[in-house]
Amino acid sequence: MKPDEQYWNPVLETLPREKIQQLQLKKFKNILKWAYENSPFYRSLYKEAGLEPGDIKTFDDVRKVPKTEKAMLREAQSIEPYPYGSILSVPLEQVTEYRQTSGTTGQPVYHPETWQDWEWSAESWAYALYAYGFRDYDRVFLPFGYSVNIAFWAGHYAAEKIGCEVVPGGVLDTEARILKMKELRATALMATPTYILGMADVARKKLGIDPAKDLYIEKITAAGEPGACIPATKKRMEEMWGAKVYDQVGATEIGHWGFECQAQAGLHVLENFHLVEIEDIETGASITEPGRRGSMVVTTFDRFAHPCIRFDSKDIIEWNPVEKCECGRTFRRLKGGVVGRADDITKVKGVLLAPTAIEEVVRSIPELGDEYEVTVIKRGDIDDITLKVETAPDYKRNVEAVEQKLVQQLRLKTGLRYNLEFHDYGTLPRYALKAKRFKDLRVKE
Amino acid sequence: MKKYNIEDMAKKIELLKQTATELKRISGGIQAVDRNVDRILASIKMLELNISDLVGIV
Repeated sequence: MKPDEQYWNPVLETLPREKIQQLQLKKFKNILKWAYENSPFYRSLYKEAGLEPGDIKTFDDVRKVPKTEKAMLREAQSIEPYPYGSILSVPLEQVTEYRQTSGTTGQPVYHPETWQDWEWSAESWAYALYAYGFRDYDRVFLPFGYSVNIAFWAGHYAAEKIGCEVVPGGVLDTEARILKMKELRATALMATPTYILGMADVARKKLGIDPAKDLYIEKITAAGEPGACIPATKKRMEEMWGAKVYDQVGATEIGHWGFECQAQAGLHVLENFHLVEIEDIETGASITEPGRRGSMVVTTFDRFAHPCIRFDSKDIIEWNPVEKCECGRTFRRLKGGVVGRADDITKVKGVLLAPTAIEEVVRSIPELGDEYEVTVIKRGDIDDITLKVETAPDYKRNVEAVEQKLVQQLRLKTGLRYNLEFHDYGTLPRYALKAKRFKDLRVKE
Repeated sequence: MKKYNIEDMAKKIELLKQTATELKRISGGIQAVDRNVDRILASIKMLELNISDLVGIV
């Protein structure tokens, strides 16, 4: 492969840093002006803050722009024009696609797409798929519900755009999807980490198919939840499928904003389409240096129907210490991708706990199955945390030794002591899309 | 960066845009023309994002 053939756009993806920033500032000013002139929501927000688009001249000025968050979007959507409300920045008749958020954190946010914005969604995904090595000779299988949630819709159209042959596995059940992948010799796949593991499990247990040996999948796009950025989970997925698994991140309101390259050394931010800022969770101070985790504030530049400007996504991220990537891309990288959500990080027994740290421990122990469940309750004034795990299907002996290993690793990685419950393989809940394995029941008691 | 002629590509993209817009202007409202031009313009916008936006930067 010639050096430039690894990029969807060799010019943009290898721009010197100062040029990328020059482009970002130009685009930030452009979308801010668009929103101010076309969205009653944004105009009102900025007028209240005494801000006009012309006030933004430097990156330091960007931080003066008021942030938005999901609750504000929901509120803005309670007024006309129905159902998108005052954020809508194009005439309603230009909207050609409806999407909505998954509703994991409450009332779904509705998302309008014009033809142009939808084309943008596919374009942004094309950067990622091309980086993973998707090419026109690939047959790509999409095992998702093709429903109102955005899920892998844009991935479908991006794969088409690259020239892949796309197989929509929509209404098929898991077994039928696996058999279809085998029948058609599909070479690539897109799914959530939970479903990637679940499919491999069904293939082996119910169909006697070993995905690593009996299927033809070479590369997998994992999106929708953390997993491919958790080393132990990525390792499990790659071993089960005998394929490379690439992490990809996005959200309905934001679009796709980050991807791994084939070096698999962190998540590249799609900086030609987004401005990603990191803020300290408690103080809101800007974090520009590597090594400190914070909450992501993101702006999408070129999506005009429902602008997303300085959106506090609540995703927990951290800049990578090494800026130069061996793939040659100059897009800045995150260390480990999205490592959690500000909503999920909670204090248990006075210790800050990120549920992804528990997943990293559970899935690094081969004697344990993939599934787990964490429950936090309050007994009197004391937090009580229980971790339910399954033993791996072929492992039944010496639970004590596994328990010892689990206790030790949990103490090391999370600083907490847990009530542990060992369950038979296959007895904990299985999830098809976004899993909810962390249950904080303290407020309800 | 020299091997890609961004400015020449941007000029051709602008020409495509002008042609598509002109086609819509003279379509007489034929939906089969207007709606397909809208799709073409959306694709042209992607060319602008990939190429034209770089004029003056690279």
